[in-house]
Parts: sequence; structure tokens; C-alpha cells
Amino acid sequence: MVSVRNLSHSYGNDGRLAVDDVSFDIEKGETFGFLGPSGAGKSTTQGVLTGLLRLQKGEVTVAGYDLRRVRKERFNKIGVSFEQANVYSKLTALENLRFYADLFDAPTRDPHELLELVGLAGRENDRAGSFSKGMKHRLTFARSMLNYPELWFLDEPTTGLDPAIAAVIKGVIKAEQAKGTTTFLTTHNMYIADELCDRVAFIVDGSIKLVDTPRNLKQRYGKKLVEVEYLRDDGSIAKETLRTVDEGDRERLAGIVRSRDIVTMHSKEATLEEIFIQITGRGLD
Amino acid sequence: MKLASAYRKEMTIAFRGFYFYVEIVIALILLAVLLLAVDEYPEGREKEYAFYDASPAVVDAVFAELIEEGTLVPGEPEELTMKPASFEVVDEAAGTSARYSFDDARAVAARTMLEMDRATGRKKKTIYLLDSEDDLLRLSFSSGGVGAVIRPGDDGRLYYRYILQGYETERVSNLLYALHARSLDELGDAMDGQAVRSLGPVDRLNARESAVPLFVTFAGSLMGFFIVMAYLYLDKNEGAIKAIAVTPATVRTYLLSKTLVIMSTVLVSSSIVVIPVMGAKPDYLLFYPFLLATTFAFAALGLFVASFFDSMDDAFGTLYVIMIAFMLPAFSYLIGSFDPVWLRFFPTYPVLQVFKAVMLGKTDVPYALAVLAGFLAGGAAILLAAEARFKKTLTV
Repeated sequence: MVSVRNLSHSYGNDGRLAVDDVSFDIEKGETFGFLGPSGAGKSTTQGVLTGLLRLQKGEVTVAGYDLRRVRKERFNKIGVSFEQANVYSKLTALENLRFYADLFDAPTRDPHELLELVGLAGRENDRAGSFSKGMKHRLTFARSMLNYPELWFLDEPTTGLDPAIAAVIKGVIKAEQAKGTTTFLTTHNMYIADELCDRVAFIVDGSIKLVDTPRNLKQRYGKKLVEVEYLRDDGSIAKETLRTVDEGDRERLAGIVRSRDIVTMHSKEATLEEIFIQITGRGLD
Repeated sequence: MKLASAYRKEMTIAFRGFYFYVEIVIALILLAVLLLAVDEYPEGREKEYAFYDASPAVVDAVFAELIEEGTLVPGEPEELTMKPASFEVVDEAAGTSARYSFDDARAVAARTMLEMDRATGRKKKTIYLLDSEDDLLRLSFSSGGVGAVIRPGDDGRLYYRYILQGYETERVSNLLYALHARSLDELGDAMDGQAVRSLGPVDRLNARESAVPLFVTFAGSLMGFFIVMAYLYLDKNEGAIKAIAVTPATVRTYLLSKTLVIMSTVLVSSSIVVIPVMGAKPDYLLFYPFLLATTFAFAALGLFVASFFDSMDDAFGTLYVIMIAFMLPAFSYLIGSFDPVWLRFFPTYPVLQVFKAVMLGKTDVPYALAVLAGFLAGGAAILLAAEARFKKTLTV
């Protein structure tokens, strides 16, 4: 569905590349996570793939269209949800969706259905300018689904949303995945990526450091840990994190279990974020 | 379909926004001012000082003739105050100058004659008849008015010497020379022999009507240049352009919808002023196409200029310079004697002239259509240039 070969992009003439020789493929029906900190090159890559930025160098095919030949009709197959909500504040939620629906040369979804899907039922006729940030974000998200996109670009789809609404959005994404929609998910939230993505790419300083499934990454880079809290002789609580692959740690854990009153004990997998830091040497914020 | 939808959306936003109502309110305010506060034929406030270097009997005879002709009517005598003054008078014809200095302050009673407009019967100017050339010079100097020393010659003709302020254009001086160099009969014969093609109307708009071409040019057509930029930057601020860019709609559709909404707004705001003030006088079949063509061209120019800047703040300096430059032809429109050739290269110059002619309903149609075609072609070319630029910059 997406093929990127040796993509490079620069915003100026100073030779500094925002994206440097990036290559990857996304299969039809796959959810591909593009993960990295701010300024890593995520938005630039998505900008090129969605046509918002001109292809400068490399070969990119999106939804069967070669980006070197500009064809507006490819957007009938593509949906884009932006990180920053960008709806017309003077139009109502319904007017926003109806206007954008008219711009497609393909069947479009019922705006009422979409608004209900993202929890905006009953607010159809309110102007978007009166919406909270989260509501505008949901309207932007709903708009990206108008044309039954085969390829769906999601930029930080749950950032800034309260947990309940984020859960609704994740549910919608999973439902679309089940229908076979190919998704390009750009985020710095590793929990979302872990939960939703079939494969993830780690991008730092414009370069992809690694592409793999979350499961493989955890198996390869993760270390099984046990976090245990127990009572000391003076009644205070002590906390230790022990590696189950280390013989000494295993004996220490057995000793604690035998001789102490355990307050809490959890096994703990390495998170994608910890793996990201381990591989790239960089945090995600 | 896409253009219709984009236009409908733009109109909805315009109705719910600020700029549309700014245009409408400006039109309503101007209409109220024109109808309630501007006299169609205001009395002239111009003052002219005259000294007849002749015996009272000759002066009375001259004025009696002018009064009989209906050119002048006697006015009430007025008291004029003269303050101490010092100035220099240059005689252009002789190439000499003389310095005058007066230390006294005094008042003189002056007879007045009122020059009347035969068409409207309203006063054009007041002529003060003074008893000495010194008084004429002092009053002309202190008030900035034109003075004239008139002397009957031995040949029975009147000879005029004008006192001007020095800042009048050469055209004014030449006009005065031409007026008195030969008899009016000779001038009339010479003028009849000239082949003149009138681009503008011979008739004149009255004081109220003469504001209308200025309004439709500057608050109509040219305002589109500014407002289209404002609309575009509003979209940029909201990020809505990016969302359109990822649909099959083209940049051209987007830009055309913007220009169409500006044209619609200008159509409404201009009609608010033109129809009540001008009534059935204008050639509306020419007025509306011309208004739309010029608005289209200025809106296209606004889009093109906007393509070079990221925000209204960035664009403001350029916008301001262009707006001021385009308003310069208004000086030529308001001050008939100021009409330099370079001013005719500003696009608003022909717009003003055509609107003026259209308002009178006596347009040189081929000329007006040529200007209209020029604006349509120019606007289309500029819009294409704007489109080419926006394809690179609109979503960045």
C-alpha cells in the first residue's frame, strides 16, 4: 500500500535533512507505527506521503500512485487525521463534514454516523469554534474517515484526549483495522503504538533506526523484571526490582519471599519506550 | 460541484464573520452620509479678490453687464480684516519681484458679487471688489485666495493680472493665459476646430454622485484585494487549508471560491450605495460586469501577494504600500488640475475614469470594454501565477 525508497527531505538550502534516506514498506491492511520524539522527522515523512510536502528526493508510492506524478484523485483513497485540529470554527460540526464530503469523487459516509462514532452526537449543529480542544480533535478525526479511506494517516490520534475519549478513538481505529484499512500511525506515545500497531519504525534525527513488530522487539530487547515491595524489620516498606534472567537476582527474590512479608509483587515487561531509549539512546519527549 | 460547495462554504463563513459586515456597514455609513449630509449642489466657498483699476463708472458698467447676463448677482457688503503682513510678489511676465510689508491692522468694507452656476442656480464663488491693489495683495496673501487686477485698455478690452499663491500647477496658469490671451469668440472658434475624442463624459456628476466612483473603486474593487488576504490568512491560522489539500479539490478551486465570495460581497456593498444615490442614471449593464471584473483582478492580486507571506502581520507592510499606491489616482479624480502621466499607469486610474463615466450613463463603451477585458485577462494571469505559487507554499 505504501512503498518508500531513499526518501530525503530538507526545508532549507543549508544541507540539513529533516528526513535522511528513509526506506520502508507498508502492506495492505497493516497498521504501521512511526515512532519518535519531536523533530525526529515523523511529520515530515507523513507530510510527503500525504502530499502536503513536495517529494524532493526518493521514490514513494502511496495507494498505488507514484508521488512524482501529482494526481489529486489519489486522495479519494486516503484519509488524514491531523495532530492539530483544523476545522472551520465558523461552521457547525455537520457543515464541516458535509463541506469536506463534497470535495471527494468517491462515496462518503453519513456525517451523522461519524459524529456519533466519535461521541459528538447531539452537537451536530454547534459551531466548531464553541468546541473544546478535544472535541475539535474528534471532529478532525471523524473527517478523516469521510471517504472510507483505504489508507488512513493518523497523527497523534489520542494526544490531549481524556482517557475515556481516547479509549473510544482507539476502539474506532481497531474497528477500522478489522475492516482491513491500512493505517500509518505517527505518534510519540509508545503505549498506543504497542496496542495498535502491527509493526513500528523508530525514527530519530531523520533516520529510521529499526523496523519490527512490538512483540519481536520486546523479545529481543526486553528483560523480564519483577518488582517487589516488602516490610522491613522496623515496619518501613522496601522496594526492589530484580531481573529474572539473573541467577543472583532470582536467589535474592526467593530469599525475600521466604523471609519477608510481601506487600506487592509484579512481573514487569520492558516497554516500547524503554526499548526505544535502549536502541536510540534518546527519550521520546 | 466542488467549486459550488467551496463557494457555499465561503459565503457561510463570510456571513458569520467580521469582514463581510465591515463592508456592508461601511457602505451603509457612506450611503447615510451621502444622502443626509452631502448636498447635491453645495454652494461654493471659493473666494476671489478683484481690484478694478478704472473709474467707478466703468466698474459699475462692467458689473451691470455681467449681472444682466446672469453670470453675477450682487451680494451683501462684507467687512474684511487685514493684519500686518510681509510678502514678496513675483511678476512672472516681467520676471521681476517686489517686496511688500504692511504694519497696520485694519478693516475694509468690500462690495461682493456672487458668481452663479447657471445650471443649478447655486453660488460658485464670492468675488470681493476692493478699492486698492495693496488691499487685494494683502487679502489674497492672508486668505490664500486668487486675486485679479482688471484694467480696461485703450482698445476697449479688459486686461487681467492674476495674483496666484505660487503653488498652482502650470496648467492653471496656462488656462488663465489662454482665457485672456484672445477674445472668447476667438477661443471658441479655435476649440470648434479641434478634433477631440471624449473618453470621459462631458456632463458632470454632482457633489453627492461624484463620491460614488471613489467608493466603488476603493471600498469596492480595491477592498477585495485586502479582504481576500484576510480570508486566506484566517484559513491558514485554522489549518483548514491542509485539510483541503488532502482531498481531490484543487488549489484553483480553493482560490476561485475565495475570489467569488469577494465578488459577491462587493456586489452587495456597491449596490447598497450606487442604487439609492444614482437611481436609474448609471449604465448598469456595463457597471456590474465592470465591477465584477475589476474586483476579480484585485482579489487575484491579493491572493498572489498573500502567497509570499505566512501571515497578515508579515504581509501588512507590502499590503499597505500597494493600497496607498493604488489610491493615488484619487488625487487626480478629486483635483482636476493634478493629472500627471505617470498616474495613468496605476490600475485604479482607468477604473475610476470608467466608473465615473458609467455613473453618468454616458460611457465610451469600446474604451470601457477594453479596460474590462484587460482586467479580466490580467486577473486570470495573476490568479494562475498565484495558483502556481500556492501549490508550493499553501500548506507549508
